Amino acid sequence: MSTSMIGRNQYRNRIELLQGTLDMLILRALQWGPAHGYGIVQTLRSTSGDALQVETGSLYPALHRLERQGWVSAEWKLTESNQRAKFYRITPTGKKQLAADLGRWQQMVDVIGSIMRGVPDGDRA
Amino acid sequence: MRFLSGIFEKRKTELDEEIQAHIRMDVQNRMERGESNEEAYAAAMKEFGNVPLIKDATHESWRWRRMERLGQDLRYALRSFRRSPGFAVTVIVTLAVGIGSTCAMFTVVDHVLLRSLPYQSPSQLIDVREAGKKGVVNFGSPFLDIQQWRKRSRSLQEIAFYDANKHVSFLEGNTGAMQVSAPKVSAGLFRTLGVHPAMGRGFDERQDTGSVKPEDARMLILSDAVWRGIYGGDEAIIGKTVRLNGESYTVSGVMPREFGFPSGGSLPQVWMPVVLGSKDAVRTRNVTPNYQVIARLKAGTSMRDAEAELKVIQSEVAKDYADPYDREQVTSVSLQRYGDSLVKGDLRKALLALFGASSLLWLIACVNVTSLMLARATTRQREIAVRGALGASRWQIVQQLLIEGLLLSGFASVLGIGMAMGTLKLFEHGLTTQFHIYGRLVPNMSVIGVLLGLTVISALFTSMWPAIGAAKASIEPALRQGSQQNGAGRGQHRARTLLVITEISMSLTLLVGCGLLLRSIYALKHVSLGFRTQHVIVANMTIPAYKFEGRDMRTELYEPLVERVQHLPGVQSAALMTEVPLGKTFQMEFSLGVSGNSAAEVRRRDMRAQFRAVGPETQKVFGFRMLKGRFFNEGDTPSSQGVVVVNRAFVKEYFGDDRDPGAILGESLMSLDKNRQAVVVGVLDDTRQTSVAQQSQPEIQVCLSQITPNSSFYRGIEGIAMDLAVRTERSPALVIPELRKLMVDASPELSASEFKTMDQVVEDSYGSQRLAARLLLIFGGSALLLCIAGIYGLLAYLVAQRTRELGLRMALGAQREDVMWLVLRQAGGMLTAGICIGVALAYLGSLGLKMFLYGVTPSDPWTMGAVTFLLLAGGMAAAYVPARRAAMIDPMQALRTD
Repeated sequence: MSTSMIGRNQYRNRIELLQGTLDMLILRALQWGPAHGYGIVQTLRSTSGDALQVETGSLYPALHRLERQGWVSAEWKLTESNQRAKFYRITPTGKKQLAADLGRWQQMVDVIGSIMRGVPDGDRA
Repeated sequence: MRFLSGIFEKRKTELDEEIQAHIRMDVQNRMERGESNEEAYAAAMKEFGNVPLIKDATHESWRWRRMERLGQDLRYALRSFRRSPGFAVTVIVTLAVGIGSTCAMFTVVDHVLLRSLPYQSPSQLIDVREAGKKGVVNFGSPFLDIQQWRKRSRSLQEIAFYDANKHVSFLEGNTGAMQVSAPKVSAGLFRTLGVHPAMGRGFDERQDTGSVKPEDARMLILSDAVWRGIYGGDEAIIGKTVRLNGESYTVSGVMPREFGFPSGGSLPQVWMPVVLGSKDAVRTRNVTPNYQVIARLKAGTSMRDAEAELKVIQSEVAKDYADPYDREQVTSVSLQRYGDSLVKGDLRKALLALFGASSLLWLIACVNVTSLMLARATTRQREIAVRGALGASRWQIVQQLLIEGLLLSGFASVLGIGMAMGTLKLFEHGLTTQFHIYGRLVPNMSVIGVLLGLTVISALFTSMWPAIGAAKASIEPALRQGSQQNGAGRGQHRARTLLVITEISMSLTLLVGCGLLLRSIYALKHVSLGFRTQHVIVANMTIPAYKFEGRDMRTELYEPLVERVQHLPGVQSAALMTEVPLGKTFQMEFSLGVSGNSAAEVRRRDMRAQFRAVGPETQKVFGFRMLKGRFFNEGDTPSSQGVVVVNRAFVKEYFGDDRDPGAILGESLMSLDKNRQAVVVGVLDDTRQTSVAQQSQPEIQVCLSQITPNSSFYRGIEGIAMDLAVRTERSPALVIPELRKLMVDASPELSASEFKTMDQVVEDSYGSQRLAARLLLIFGGSALLLCIAGIYGLLAYLVAQRTRELGLRMALGAQREDVMWLVLRQAGGMLTAGICIGVALAYLGSLGLKMFLYGVTPSDPWTMGAVTFLLLAGGMAAAYVPARRAAMIDPMQALRTD
């Protein structure tokens, strides 16, 4: 296979790794109000205390997919600094989806957490 | 496609802008934090990542992505056609011929066999006829019988009856009289059909009989065509008085558009009510009116149940017949779906045979194109291998090739539908008269559906195999090969050989059918008709019988008219007869109604004969030959001895022996009216009466000038049918206007009479054969051409492929003749195999054509031989060109080419 194919596949793999979580994060970020792609990156970075840097190569495909699924809607508007940018807004179905994702996420965190906090049998002995 | 790519371009620029905005904002932010312009831009770009890749990844998430790929494939396909236009045009024209012919024939099938009747659930409607010793009774049943079915049947939801009334009626409008057909219908008929008047109401029903109440006897229901055509769509027509055949009727309703009953007539319709009279209370032959019956099955009842039930009822009903002879004719019933009763069985078979022929042509076209596609896939092996090497998956390659096929067959079907319309236009007269189609023959929605189906199937048929073959081929060897030679494997050659053999055998089938029909036509043209046809003009008169109610039509219309026609310049003789030979407008059958029980009398009661009332001049016009005795002459008048003339077939059928036809002279067969017996005065030689292909039937003729209004035969001449035959040496174009003028002077309604030459009447009589032969000539001719093209294509390709091998052979000492023979032998092999299979197929196929054949059997060796020779000659001629090319190969040059 040619190199370009490999490159594209790498991106795909990364998207897949993050997919469920990334969608949830994007929807969460949009809950604070409509935002453009750059704004979402900044929001996620600052709210995570600079720990999370979202790849644009994952962000834009995800945004367009969410738009197609009807979880976000988009419109072109001017930013505070008078720049034209595409603003995304979470839709009612997107909100429902976010609630569901959050529930599942919480469950997973609890399950994984209880496993990680638990003391292995071998250590007790 | 341009529209689609427009959408993409817009979205792509939008994405560009979005990404640019992202980067600009990042740069601005960084600069606000104190970085320099360059630093900020570099950092922003670095953080953003690979822009084209991100774009690509984002494109993938668009719904339209698939369509875009399709667009790319389509553009690519178009480009590749432009590169080899010869191939594309050949494929398109070949497929168009197949698709076009099939579409044209399907349009006819759709109109004749598949048309949906404009009634509610038409499949529940059945036609009920009595049947007995002499088969099914087609002229209807008396009311008393129908009433019994109405009372006793449990399986039929409704039973309605009608009198189709073959007379032409005249409806007077603001702009003169219009010819209409005016069937009489029972009150429940429209309810039975499940159709109700669009305006006004139907006829009021007498509950006990189903007939119309006497109060409504002067009511009339109009069809939409009549309402719009004569009364200009007058909204206030209900309750108005109109005149039909000179009598006043009140319009009670207008039926919806498209509605017609009985189905399949050419005249616009109005409906009169059936009101029962005293004649309906008895069952007397030739007195009691007969009605056709249409019934609706109860939901969930099968036709077989209904038939079983009615048969039981009818066996009871038959007992009520006093006359034992009449009883025997009506002991049972025969049921048929109403839709089926409209198309005769042999017509259906003939139509399906023609449709089969067109489908065969389509198959041949597909086979031919498949062979072409296989060859093309071979020459494109490297291109496909390169695409594979660049990362196209097998499915993508198959998809690309299928799209190419679809595009080609798409173009072909556009061209094909044009061809279909052209063919239909060309054969419109033949098709509409032979298959009784009224209205225009144009492709409708179901035809378009079939067209789409054909397009897709053609594409799959022709491209699937080559596509899969191409996708399966391994990439490496194809890439490594230097030349296009020895590209295809043995398997592919064998496949193409098989395809060509299939093509040959199918073409032979079509050609044999065509040959058999041409022979039939030749035989029909040389049948001795028994009368002269040249210089005879025939007018099928439209007689306003109502105008002569209570008067003698013979003395007031017919005789003065003939007299005047005879005095036209250039007219040698003119005569009236109820029906000219081979005229198909109307046929009268006659059974002798002798009562009595002696053996001779019982035998005579079974006599059935064609019946014609003819003027004494008829023999001069047509030149009928007398075997014995004399024809009618001026001496036969209403007051002279009653006379009849019979034909040879009559003598043979009923007197058992035609060696001495004179023995029948002087026999008294029937009476013209109560007081006059008619004796046989002459025996005519046999003629073709109803069709050129049909042997002479027993016939009895009476002299028109002896028929008076009190004769029982007067009804027969009253205007149901009357033809005027004129013998003249002058050109029909000159005489016809003069004749028409004389007729209009006699009665204005006669202006609608139809004129034809007798030669035309004869030709029309074998119109179905001629039509079938012409269609098959087109199909067979196209098949032959495709077949020759197929043979040529394959051999030319093989020779090109084997140039090096053939050069080597020659270098090693093979003679040019040997090489030529090598190629010709291959063609001979394919032809022999194809013809062997084809002869068997052709025999089976021709059985379907049986109805069209005359004077030739389906296995006619001459036809088979001639067609085989034609194919062999065509095939060998096609093979000769590549064979010669092979023989001309220069060994040195052939070996030097890579």
